[in-house]
Amino acid sequence: MGSIDLLGLFVLAVFIVLLLVFLAIGDRRRALFRPIQGYEALDRAIERAVEAGERVHLSLGTGSLIGTDSAPALAGLAILGHIARMTTLSDKPMVVSTGDGAMALLAQDSLRSVYRAAGALDRFGPNRARMLGPTPFSYVASLPILLANEDVSAHILAGSFGAEGALAADFGERNGTFVLAGTDDAQSQALLYATASYPLIGEEIFAAGAYLQKDPAHRASLRVQDAVRFILIGGILLGGLLRLLGISL
Amino acid sequence: MKIGAYMLWAATAVGTGLIVLLGYFVQLDAAAPIGLLGTIFGLRLLIMRWAVLLAAVGLVLGLVNLFTVHWRKISDQERGWGYSALLILTFFITLILGLVFGPDSRVVLLLFNAIQLPVEASLGALLAITLTLAGFRTLQRRRDLIGLAFIFTALLVLIGSGPGIVPNASPGFELFSGLRNWLAQVAAAGGARGVLLGVALGSILTGLRVLLAIDRPYGD
Repeated sequence: MGSIDLLGLFVLAVFIVLLLVFLAIGDRRRALFRPIQGYEALDRAIERAVEAGERVHLSLGTGSLIGTDSAPALAGLAILGHIARMTTLSDKPMVVSTGDGAMALLAQDSLRSVYRAAGALDRFGPNRARMLGPTPFSYVASLPILLANEDVSAHILAGSFGAEGALAADFGERNGTFVLAGTDDAQSQALLYATASYPLIGEEIFAAGAYLQKDPAHRASLRVQDAVRFILIGGILLGGLLRLLGISL
Repeated sequence: MKIGAYMLWAATAVGTGLIVLLGYFVQLDAAAPIGLLGTIFGLRLLIMRWAVLLAAVGLVLGLVNLFTVHWRKISDQERGWGYSALLILTFFITLILGLVFGPDSRVVLLLFNAIQLPVEASLGALLAITLTLAGFRTLQRRRDLIGLAFIFTALLVLIGSGPGIVPNASPGFELFSGLRNWLAQVAAAGGARGVLLGVALGSILTGLRVLLAIDRPYGD
């Protein structure tokens, strides 16, 4: 015999309904975004790189595409689209690196889409997105050479990282580049806070599409996150109060 | 034609994504999957096996990509082409030895234990120095309340955890170790849970956008 986790399905349905509702509402209700220093500084860093004939490097991390740690890299693809659009016609187009072969293919595909949309497919090369090494430390060991040889002046880390993320950010800092770094792991975020000039804390990495592309779907996602967060906070406070009153559910 | 292809990719991604997701909500008591629930569960397992196979193909393509990037560097005599030559040389030596003697052979294990393991361990050791220096840089770079709280907390945890920093018999030992335990088990754990809740919400919505074909990382 089998059964269905109805509570799980209900929670999923709540997410989908809220997402569709906020998508339908769109910009009719004005959304307020708190400033995130890293995203505010990113465009300036990209413009500087393009004007100086230098390159922007985006790292999608060392996580696997089919693993549970793929979400931050998928969010990183929103940053990829934004940077690629700004650097398509630059002398030195952006370079993307990852520690997973499948993620490298996905990054190549995303880059190709941006180049095709810009009518500059002839400028696209599959080597613009590459796998540097299949293990976290072999990946990070290749980074200093890439940063130095490709004249990178903006080094963005948006993906899944463990402790190696601190080294990846530090290599950029040593090169004097602009370093924006975000990941999903709480401990790695603490390491990135210490090593990167512009760390992304908490779920800020997932807000890239809403902040950079100003995409309605991404903005609706942020609103759903906030709505569910308030529901969770209410639930936690209610649970604490009930426990205080000696009522256990 | 273009729209047709895009619709096909989107439909494939949404269809497989939905089956895999629904499969996670199905609990099977019996070993043999029967009926609709069993079919969904079985399909999820099948698709996940395909995904593992495709990821392996992705790794091979990633290695081909790695090879072509470095081969081009050697051909064009780009800056640092010597490193690329070394990489390709060791790449082929390891590949040939692995194919001839097998991945668990003494030769391949020797290469792993004598080269890769020490290099990765030394990078791990470098991390400790990097973080110490980064701590000092944070003091210079972030002279705001959060930066100071970060450094102050790190120092308290270090004093409370480090052997010999505060002598065991001294009255300060109990105070610092108690403070460290409170910071780690109450303040840090509470903060980390808040961060993880936010990350979980972000992850769910990132996945849902792909599942509903709002985000199409597989290209248009």
